Amino acid sequence: MSENNNSMMERLDEFLLEVQKPSRYIGGETGAVIKDRSKVDIRFAFCFPDTYEIGMSHLGMKILYGLKNSVPNYWCERVFMPLPDMEEQMRARNIPLYALESLDPIKDFDFIGFTLQYEMSYTNILEMLDLAGVPVLAKDRTGLTPIVMAGGPCVCNPEPLADFFDFFAIGEGEEMNLEFMRLMEECKREGASRQEFLRRAAQIDGIYVPSLYDIDYNEDGTVKSITPKDGAPAKVRKRIIKDFDKAYAPENFVVPFSGIVHDRAVVEVLRGCIRGCRFCQAGYIYRPYREKGKETILNQTRALCENTGYDEVSLSSLSTGDYKDIEGLLSELTDYTTAEKINLSLPSLRIDRFSDEVLKKITDVRKSGLTFAPEGGTQRIRDVINKNVTEQNVMDSVKIAFEGGYTNIKLYFMLGLPTETMEDIEGIYALARAVIEQFYATEGHRGRPGVSVSLSTFIPKPFTPFEFEPQLDEATVRERQKHLRTINTDRKITISYSDYNVSLIEAVLARGDRRVGKAIYAAWKKGCKLDGWDEYFRFDKWVEAFRDCGLDMAFYANRRRSYDEVAPWSHIDMLVSREFLIEENKRAHAGVTTPNCREKCSGCGVSKCVGGEICRAIG
Amino acid sequence: MPSVNTRAFFSKTGRAKYISHLDLSTVMIRAMKRTKLPIWQTEGFNPRTYVTFMLPLSLGQEGEHEAMDFRLTEDVPYDEVRDRLNAALPPDIRVLEITVPKDKNTDITAARYRIELPEEFCSSGGAEKLRELCGREQINVEKRTKKGSIVVDLKPLMTDVEMNGNVLSLTLPAGNSFNINPALLFEAYAAEYGEPIRRLRIVRTNIYSGNREFE
Repeated sequence: MSENNNSMMERLDEFLLEVQKPSRYIGGETGAVIKDRSKVDIRFAFCFPDTYEIGMSHLGMKILYGLKNSVPNYWCERVFMPLPDMEEQMRARNIPLYALESLDPIKDFDFIGFTLQYEMSYTNILEMLDLAGVPVLAKDRTGLTPIVMAGGPCVCNPEPLADFFDFFAIGEGEEMNLEFMRLMEECKREGASRQEFLRRAAQIDGIYVPSLYDIDYNEDGTVKSITPKDGAPAKVRKRIIKDFDKAYAPENFVVPFSGIVHDRAVVEVLRGCIRGCRFCQAGYIYRPYREKGKETILNQTRALCENTGYDEVSLSSLSTGDYKDIEGLLSELTDYTTAEKINLSLPSLRIDRFSDEVLKKITDVRKSGLTFAPEGGTQRIRDVINKNVTEQNVMDSVKIAFEGGYTNIKLYFMLGLPTETMEDIEGIYALARAVIEQFYATEGHRGRPGVSVSLSTFIPKPFTPFEFEPQLDEATVRERQKHLRTINTDRKITISYSDYNVSLIEAVLARGDRRVGKAIYAAWKKGCKLDGWDEYFRFDKWVEAFRDCGLDMAFYANRRRSYDEVAPWSHIDMLVSREFLIEENKRAHAGVTTPNCREKCSGCGVSKCVGGEICRAIG
Repeated sequence: MPSVNTRAFFSKTGRAKYISHLDLSTVMIRAMKRTKLPIWQTEGFNPRTYVTFMLPLSLGQEGEHEAMDFRLTEDVPYDEVRDRLNAALPPDIRVLEITVPKDKNTDITAARYRIELPEEFCSSGGAEKLRELCGREQINVEKRTKKGSIVVDLKPLMTDVEMNGNVLSLTLPAGNSFNINPALLFEAYAAEYGEPIRRLRIVRTNIYSGNREFE
C-alpha cells in the first residue's frame, strides 16, 4: 500500500531525532492520502508557507487536499516550512524540500502551490522554493514543470509577488484547481511549453498570469497603466462557488500525531460576511454571503468526527452568529455532539449575536476567558469603521458571560483607525473600566475579574473602503500606545500591543506594487524568514532591503491615495466595485454607518456580478 | 455486561518511532474512536477513552511487541477488535493480537532489544570497540532520573548479550520502578571513545515477566 520513498526515509533517519518534534517532518498520519506513483498523472505540492502546526490547522488546505485527491490520477501532498533546526540539517545534507506523503522532492512535481494567508509569510515562500531547489524567480524557470502558483486571500493584490509566481488563482478554488490541473494534463500530453501552458491558463476565469501584463508608472511613482498581452484579459475576475451548499467539503482530515494550533474537526457553515466592517478585507473579498444548509452541516460534522476520531468540532466562518437559524442549527448539532461526547466550539461570534442560548450550547472546558472585538473605543469611531456594535451590546454580552461563571474578558481593538483621536483611545480604557464595573454589578458573579485589552495597529488593506487611507505614522502610534498605558491605573486591566514594525511591513506588502518584489527578494537574501514569528523577525534587515532597492516604505504605507489613482491591483476584480469602496470611504469620514446585507443591499456590486439570486437569499 | 479489561499487543515501527509516548496515547484514542468499538470511557465531567500503556517507549526507538490495556463494554471477537483497530491506525502502528491480560504492568521485569549498528560504524572498527566495552567488568554510566542523576553499572544488568554481525541483542531490566534504557550503553560508549554512534536502530523486541514473556 505504502509508496514511501525509502531512501529519503533513511536519510531523514540519520538526524531526525536531533530536531525538535520530528513527527511533523515525516508524514504517515492517518487520513494522509497515499497513491501509487505509476497511476498518477498530475502531482501537486500544496505548500503552506508556515510551520506544520499552523498550516495543518488551516481549513482551506484540507478542502483543496481532499478535492484534488478525489481525482484518481491526481495526487496532492502537503508541504510546510521547516523550522531553522530542521532546515539547517536539510541544507547541510543536501536534502531538498520534500512532500510529506511520498517524501519525494517537490521540484519534480507538476505544481507547487502556495496558499497566501498573510503577508508576513511571503519570505517563507522564497525560502521554501530555494530549499526545494526551484529557481525563486519565475523568469529563471524553464521546462513545463514545476509551475509555481498561489491562491488565498492575499492574492487579491498579487503584485508584490508577481516576480516569483507563474500564476495566481483568484477567488474560490474548488472548481479552478481542477481546471488548471486538467490543462496541465493536456499540455503534458501535447508536449506543450511552459509559455504555452501559461498562455492557455490565462484564459481560465480567475487565473492571473503576471508575466502577461506590463506595468507602467507615473513620475510620482504611482501606477500609470496595466497592459495585458498575448490575449490575457484586461481584468481577472475572482471565482466563486454559486451553489455553496453543494461545494466540495472534506469528509476526512489528516489527523496529526502531535498537537497543532487547532487540533479538531472544523466545519465551514457559511462563506462571506453580511457586515461590511470597513477595515476588514475578508468582509469584502469573500462576498457574496452564502450559507450551507443545516442538513449539510450536520452530515459533514458527523462524517468528520467519525472519520477523524476527533472529540471536538468547531464551526468555522467569518461570523457564525449571523447564520440565519443559528439556534436551530446549534440545537440539532448539540443533539449529536452531546450524545457522542464531542465538544462543540464556536469561534467568531459577534458581540451582538452573543446570547444566553448560544453560551449554554458552547462548551468551554476551562471556562476562564472569552474574547470580544469592539475594535474601537467610542461610538463615533465604531460608526466610522461600520462596526455596528454599541457599548450596550458589549455590556449585555459580558453580563451573560459573568453570569455564566466567566471572569476574564479579552477585548480586541485597533489603534490608528482613520479619523482616530486621543478621545477614542481614552474610550478604550473607559470601555475596559465599564466591563470591570459590570462584573461587580452582575448578580452571581464569582471570582476576580480581569480585562485584557489587546491592540493591534490598523493596516489598510486592498478592496476595503480604507484602501485609500494612510497607515498612522510610527511616532503617533507610539504616542497613543503610551497614553493608554499611562491612563490605566487599574491593575485588573492589562494592555498589550502588537509590534508596530511588523504592522508597517505588513502594510507595505499589502498595498505594494510589483516593484516591492525586489525588496522582498532583497530581504530574503539578507536572511529574513519566518517574519510572523517575533523571535525571527528582523526589522533592520527589511529596512536595509527597501533602502538598497531605492524604495520608500512610507510611499506604500503612510500616503493617502487619491480616488483617481490607479491601484496596483486594479486589474484584479473581486466583484466589489471601486465606486462602492469610494462611497463607503466618504461615508466613513462622515461617520455614517451602512446597514448590513440582510437589512438592506448596499449596492457593493457583487449582486450585479453573480446574478442577484445569491444576494436575495441572504435576507 | 461489566467492562472487561483487554490487552492489545502492537508494533510501533518505521515512521511511528517519531511519535512520542504522550502523542501515542492521543493517536490510539482517536483510532479507537474511529473504530466505533465499544471501548470504555472514564466517568465524570470530561469522559475520556481509557487506555494505558504497559511500558513507555523512548522517542526514536521502535517496538515489535508492545502492550496496552483498555476495557471493552461488550463482547466482540478479538480478531475483529484487532482488524478494526488496524483499519483505523496509521500504517506504522499494527495491532498483532488481542488477549485477556494475565500479568499486571508491575509484573514487568525486563525487556529485550535488538540494536542494529550502522555498517560504516562496524567496518571502521566500532564493533570491536563495542564488544570490548561489553566485555568489561564494569560499565559505569550516568543515569538521569527525576530525582537527579545516579551512576549505574550496566554490566550486571545486561543479560543474554549476543553480537551477530552488526546486530547486538541484549536484555535489560524494565518496568515502572527500575528501567534501563539501552541508549545508556551507547552513552557509555560515547563517553569512553569520545565519539557518539549515529544512526543506531534500537528495537524493543519483547517484554518479560520474570523468565517468561509478559502476557
